[in-house]
Amino acid sequence: MAALSYDGCNFFRQRLILSTLSGKRVKIREIRSREDEPGLRDFEASFIRLLDKVTNGTRIEINQTGTVLFYQPGLLYGGSVEHECNLQRSIGYYLEGLLMLAPFMKNSLKAVLKGVTNDPTDPSVDLLKATAIPLMKKFGIDGEGLEIKVVKRGIAPHGGGEVHFSCPVRRTLKPVLLTDPGKIKRIRGTAYSVRVSPQMANRIVDSARSILNKLIPDIYIYTDHMKGASSGKSPGFGLVLVAETLNGTCLSAELSSTPQGRGDQMLPEELGKNCAKLLLEEIYRGGCVDSTNQSLALLYMTLGQQDVSKTLLGPLSPYTIEFLRHIRDFFQIMFKIETQTADEDQQKGGDKVLMTCVGAGYTNISKSIK
Amino acid sequence: MEGKEQKRHQHKHSGPKAEKKRKKQQKEHGVEQEQDERKKNPKAFTVRSAVRMARNFHRTQDIKTKKHHIPLVDRTPLEPPPVVVVVMGPPKVGKSTLIRCLIKNYTRQKLADICGPVTIVSGKKRRLTFIECNNDINTMIDLAKVADLVLMLIDASFGFEMETFEFLNICQVHGFPRIMGVLTHLDTFKNTKSLNKTKKRLKHRFWTEVYQGAKLFYLSGMVYGEYQMREVKNLGRFISVMKFRPLLWQSSHPYVVADRMEDLTDPEAIRLDPKCDRTVSLYGYLRGTFLKNKGQVHIPGVGDFSVEDISFIPDPCPLPETLKKRALNEKERLLYAPMAGVGGLVYDKDAVYIDMPGSHVKQQEEEVRPTAELVQSLMGTHTTLDAKMAASKVSLFTGSAALTPDDVQDNSVKQGPVESRVWDPETQRERRKAVFTEEEEDDNSEGSDEEESDQEDEEEMESAGEDDDDDDDDDDDDDEEEEDGDEGSKQQVGEEEKKSKMTAAPPTKRQKLEENGKEVKGGMEMPAFADSEDELEKSEDEEEDKEEDSEDEDEEEMKEEEEKKEKKKSSAPPDSGHCSEEEDDDDDDEDDDDDDEDDEEEEDDDGDDDDDDDDNDDEEEDESEKKQQVNIKTPALKPKKKEKEEKEEKMDAEDELEEEEAELGADTVGALQWKSNLAQKATEAFLKRQRSAPNLRKLVYGTVVEEEEDAQNKDDEELGGLFRVTRPEKNKKVRADAVDCSRFHPDAGHDWEDEEMLTSIRDCFVTGKWEGDKDAATLLKEDDEVYGDFEDLETGEVHKAMGDEAEEDDDDEDEEKEEEEAVVVKFDDDEAKKNKRLERKKRLKERFDAEYDDADATYFDDLKEEMQKQAELNRAEFEDMDDEARIQYEGFRPGMYVRLEIPGLPCEFVTNFDPHYPIILGALGASEGNIGYLQMRLKKHRWFNRILKTRDPLILSLGWRRFQTIPLYHIEDHNGRHRLLKYTPEHMHCGASIWGPITPQGTGFLAVQTVAGTQANFRIAATGVVLDLDKSVTVVKKLKLIGYPYKIYKNTCFVQGMFNTVLEVAKFEGASLRTVSGIKGQIKKALRTPPGAYRATFEDRVLMSDIVFLRSWYPVTVPQLYNPVTSLLLPVGQKDTWTGMRTVGQLKHDLGIRNHPNVDSLYKPVERQKRHFNPLHIPKELQKALPFKNKPKFHEAKGKTPRDLQRPAIIREPHEKKVAELLTALSTVYNYKNKKAHVEQREKHKDFLKQKEKQEEEKQRRLKEERKKVYRAMGQKEKKKLKSSLKGASKNE
Repeated sequence: MAALSYDGCNFFRQRLILSTLSGKRVKIREIRSREDEPGLRDFEASFIRLLDKVTNGTRIEINQTGTVLFYQPGLLYGGSVEHECNLQRSIGYYLEGLLMLAPFMKNSLKAVLKGVTNDPTDPSVDLLKATAIPLMKKFGIDGEGLEIKVVKRGIAPHGGGEVHFSCPVRRTLKPVLLTDPGKIKRIRGTAYSVRVSPQMANRIVDSARSILNKLIPDIYIYTDHMKGASSGKSPGFGLVLVAETLNGTCLSAELSSTPQGRGDQMLPEELGKNCAKLLLEEIYRGGCVDSTNQSLALLYMTLGQQDVSKTLLGPLSPYTIEFLRHIRDFFQIMFKIETQTADEDQQKGGDKVLMTCVGAGYTNISKSIK
Repeated sequence: MEGKEQKRHQHKHSGPKAEKKRKKQQKEHGVEQEQDERKKNPKAFTVRSAVRMARNFHRTQDIKTKKHHIPLVDRTPLEPPPVVVVVMGPPKVGKSTLIRCLIKNYTRQKLADICGPVTIVSGKKRRLTFIECNNDINTMIDLAKVADLVLMLIDASFGFEMETFEFLNICQVHGFPRIMGVLTHLDTFKNTKSLNKTKKRLKHRFWTEVYQGAKLFYLSGMVYGEYQMREVKNLGRFISVMKFRPLLWQSSHPYVVADRMEDLTDPEAIRLDPKCDRTVSLYGYLRGTFLKNKGQVHIPGVGDFSVEDISFIPDPCPLPETLKKRALNEKERLLYAPMAGVGGLVYDKDAVYIDMPGSHVKQQEEEVRPTAELVQSLMGTHTTLDAKMAASKVSLFTGSAALTPDDVQDNSVKQGPVESRVWDPETQRERRKAVFTEEEEDDNSEGSDEEESDQEDEEEMESAGEDDDDDDDDDDDDDEEEEDGDEGSKQQVGEEEKKSKMTAAPPTKRQKLEENGKEVKGGMEMPAFADSEDELEKSEDEEEDKEEDSEDEDEEEMKEEEEKKEKKKSSAPPDSGHCSEEEDDDDDDEDDDDDDEDDEEEEDDDGDDDDDDDDNDDEEEDESEKKQQVNIKTPALKPKKKEKEEKEEKMDAEDELEEEEAELGADTVGALQWKSNLAQKATEAFLKRQRSAPNLRKLVYGTVVEEEEDAQNKDDEELGGLFRVTRPEKNKKVRADAVDCSRFHPDAGHDWEDEEMLTSIRDCFVTGKWEGDKDAATLLKEDDEVYGDFEDLETGEVHKAMGDEAEEDDDDEDEEKEEEEAVVVKFDDDEAKKNKRLERKKRLKERFDAEYDDADATYFDDLKEEMQKQAELNRAEFEDMDDEARIQYEGFRPGMYVRLEIPGLPCEFVTNFDPHYPIILGALGASEGNIGYLQMRLKKHRWFNRILKTRDPLILSLGWRRFQTIPLYHIEDHNGRHRLLKYTPEHMHCGASIWGPITPQGTGFLAVQTVAGTQANFRIAATGVVLDLDKSVTVVKKLKLIGYPYKIYKNTCFVQGMFNTVLEVAKFEGASLRTVSGIKGQIKKALRTPPGAYRATFEDRVLMSDIVFLRSWYPVTVPQLYNPVTSLLLPVGQKDTWTGMRTVGQLKHDLGIRNHPNVDSLYKPVERQKRHFNPLHIPKELQKALPFKNKPKFHEAKGKTPRDLQRPAIIREPHEKKVAELLTALSTVYNYKNKKAHVEQREKHKDFLKQKEKQEEEKQRRLKEERKKVYRAMGQKEKKKLKSSLKGASKNE
């Protein structure tokens, strides 16, 4: 079997993860070959190392300059893993990958990830906790083991956070029929602040509420001020908002303060307001799955039984579009994509996309039977 | 007919049937009776024992739940593939005869040679594929995996043979298909009794193997070399009504049992190298589950291959279309067996014969020689013209592979929009051009052969006229994309394409295409990815068109485009609209129209003062703009114009104007056609415009990245062959190396401060407006109407609910008014109201039913319902799609007749092809093509008469595969350690680790030691199941390290000889030790001298003679041997002679090597020497001290009696002698007399006793009678007394 070949380091995680799940080898060439610093970055190397930790028998070959990567996947092993995530990207970068792999391991995964918990580029751990976990439950991945816990919070750039992620293993996933997102019944959120005044969080909460209160009264935003050892190494604050619907859909938005030394600091009031607006934007996009988790939902649909699964999504993000292409490359699964235009009389935001696919009939080949 | 009276049916009044009927009737009534009884006498039916009751309940529940199977989603397709019926049995049992008879029974046709699979239509909804299984164990294994039904033929005159049992065991391992036994050779029994006995014996043996009550069929005898018609008919009925259960492996893996094989290899390549790898196309019904294109398949007996291409072709043996009639008519009883020559071909060793079948034999699409093609096309009347066209073939040269329209289509399918990268020196970036190879092809052909192309144009025109304008829009689209690209490069590419096409599409094919222009066109539209069949795509295209319509001038165009872009930003959020300009290029897909336009725009902006090339571009655009204006008017002319355009790209603008005029002239020709449905078109166009959604499908899947083009470009960049021009490639590289982040950045256009924006999402919240059927207010109102009040239709009165009036007051006035009105205007809209009410009632009832049923539903029922729903969804989702689109989403459906093209097959597959051996294409799931370590549970088969040795090669049948591997056997210790075993246990499961193909856990496997030839013994060595897959193994074997003490101080001891260096010892510090005598200890510290010696402590003092050992575990590696059994590649007639790696024993036997064992290890006869014991010596002192009892006694041996003590012998005198003799004689007589008298006396006494007994009996009898009398008298007296007393009492009263 010839290896699938790609150019460039974009969508690096997708390729490696799908390769691991499908067992197909992958070759990524010309990774930043024309840049001043060619080759893989540290955070990508760290991601590869993490994959190596959770798998057994993986073969990784990187050339001298780091511009060519050959990846031959092994079997997902799982178990207890401790990983020091690179500080260039937040833990969310790594956690997103693990979320995709975790249900298909041999042993249930118990990962301890250390590094940056919140930064402006990647979806933060809190966001994934609030949106990805309920989504996974819909696919039959539930039970006591499924959990993301923020033990220490570490803000970019110096990190120092710690996150515990555990996930049970499943042999097969259930097909889903998520066509009705339902109405939003409440909005919850967490305003966190570390190594700054605890008042920051309260200021964020007030400003966020000022916008959201116009739409729904049931809003509660927790303030999470961590101190001492669990507060990481850099100061910062931020807000994660989650809108929960009657059908259990979670839409979320987040915003965190600019890392120290990377530009002008944002006022907490401004941050709160902007984050609330982001949430409204997310609600406008709508769908049964949060825009950050689109690819996760699509992956689980692909890896389901050979049954029809349907999910209503908001507009597809560029990341998701590329993910769909990769799914076609690795699993030969194509999605039926139908656009649902919004009703004239109903004020429910923008157009939605109904994704339909027949699962690949994937079973967890790592899980052993006794 | 009327005169003949029909005898009426007489109901049975006696016998088992009548009895049964009566019982049934009684039961029907009895239920009620029983209930009545219970009502009458409830105490008689109370619980007598709670324990008994509980037990009974448990028992019934157990029985009930035992019947449950885990509900599975029903994934059987609507039109299932033919049922695979494998006819199996030892040689000379009558397999071929049975198949022949069955085929004759179903289709009324005789098949001379059963060769390869034979497919027939057996009923209105069922087709059967018969496959004969020979006695090669390879075939048996392969067919057991694909069989739905096995007809197991058994020679009754002989009894069961080993093959039967072997096959049964193979079936058990690979999922158990339905098995029906068929006893043959029953006519050899002359005696009915022995026949019945044999039948019974065989039946019971069969039952123990399969299941109790398994069907065994008897074929009593042969008539003229065939089985009796009636019996065959019955068997046929059994087969056609049989139900099948889904088997796990089969239902999760798509597979094809190939019934036709074609070699597609270039004959020239074969001529040059007869042993070159072959490209082969295999045909067959797809079974199992959905098959995805470009997957991997395993062909048992050959190996793993990747499928180059799959296409579905019309069913050669279709089910009848209408289901009105009771039975199939003659034409619908189809038979399809290309390997047996019924499909038109007869396969011989190295030649192909064409068979001209009888009048009603269905013609298949086998046309290799032109003559046959003609005849067959005339004869085949079942298929429609286009179906036949699709199936027809053309061979260009004699002996070359025939081309089907599929091939043609395939070419076009593969090359949707092909991306060709072109370097634009002006803008310093790479431009990606979508090249549609179909068009290119057309171009080229046009260049070479004008007339033909003209014809084609006409054809296309017609077809386009027939289709609606959608097709033409596609072409427009293409046009645009074409124009975007650079011309020079296009020519370059075009030339290359031309070259390739010239070889691929020869003039003959072209003719064919012309003949059925429409057909081919349909094929060309097939491409799923790019070539815009999608409605959405069309909508967008059209939209663009319309917009472009309105614009006339260049400047305006620019503006328009910008506007459009903005529009898209708002309407199409998923697209790059959110990103900056640069990012636009990265994220966007290569072929997206928007993107292209953006590019153009950029180009226009920067490159105003560029040279001709760019100007030319602009000009072309103008042209296209104009043309599109025209195009809207003349949709039918599109294709032609497009081609012209391409042809004359280099032409001047004037020329083109002329062209246009000419076209306008031609316009009038097709005028009537397009005018016909103008209104409809207009509405459609409007609707499409309404839907401003972007074409997501194309956006997502519309790109095909071509690596080769890229490489080619690089070559072009070379300067003088030494240096290469490197330029920062902005466009592609930035995209490829962008930040990998899943965040979806928000649209900057939305201002959420704005109240209007807020209202746009207001209904997403619970506080917003609800849909009609969910709105609480309307629901409440509805309920009110249903429950609250009702109306008597007869009298016209309106009844109000009891406590309703209070509520009524609260209600709006409107409602009251309504009600009043209802009374007044009731008669007017009575009907409507009635309907409404009925509907509401129905809904209410449904709701009630749902609730009521739910109360009783169990978990099992819920699960079943869920599965049912899923199955319905699966069926309904893609039902109304056409097959071409559907396979994109689902893959190929089971039941389709597919053609798989497989390149790189070894030449032996073709040269040694034997249709008697089944060719199975089993698709492999994700990562099933990889190899790793497998841990399995294995048990030696109880009928295999030897145990298996670790590291002896074994042939495994696992999944689709048969392969040789080297297993290691192990057993799990109590602490989870896998300890290596030298041999498999005799009657126990053990673990086995092998290096082999990754197969899902839970898959069964079987092992044989050899597949070559037939053996007398049972061949299946072991069976088992895969437990675990891994990339490493954890099998260990025990290793004992031995050392000797050389210094001992109390419990401390110095040991040497166990290790060689200090380092080794250091590694084992703290390890536990033991001596042979059983003293435990521990390693303490290494000693410097002698190296490898150490100090150890023990729990007791160790002797110097003792041996110290350390028990350790050493990991073993599993040998990495994975050797697929390539039995199909062997020459014909030797296919059952595959031998792989030999075992050590075989090798030694073959090479004559004998092992010389250690002499000490040999067994020798045990010789026991007699032991001598010394006498016990007790010291004199001790003797003295001992009590007398314990003192040793020294008895002297007894001497002879002295002569004086001996008694003298008596010697009688003669007289005395006589007296003594007389006395003895007398005493003898006396004794005799005495004895006699005694006997007599006893006789007498016996008689006496008898007499006495008799007397006694008599006496007893008498007494009894007397007693009876007395008692009777007494009784009567008593009675009288009682009576009298009663009388007296009554009188007294």
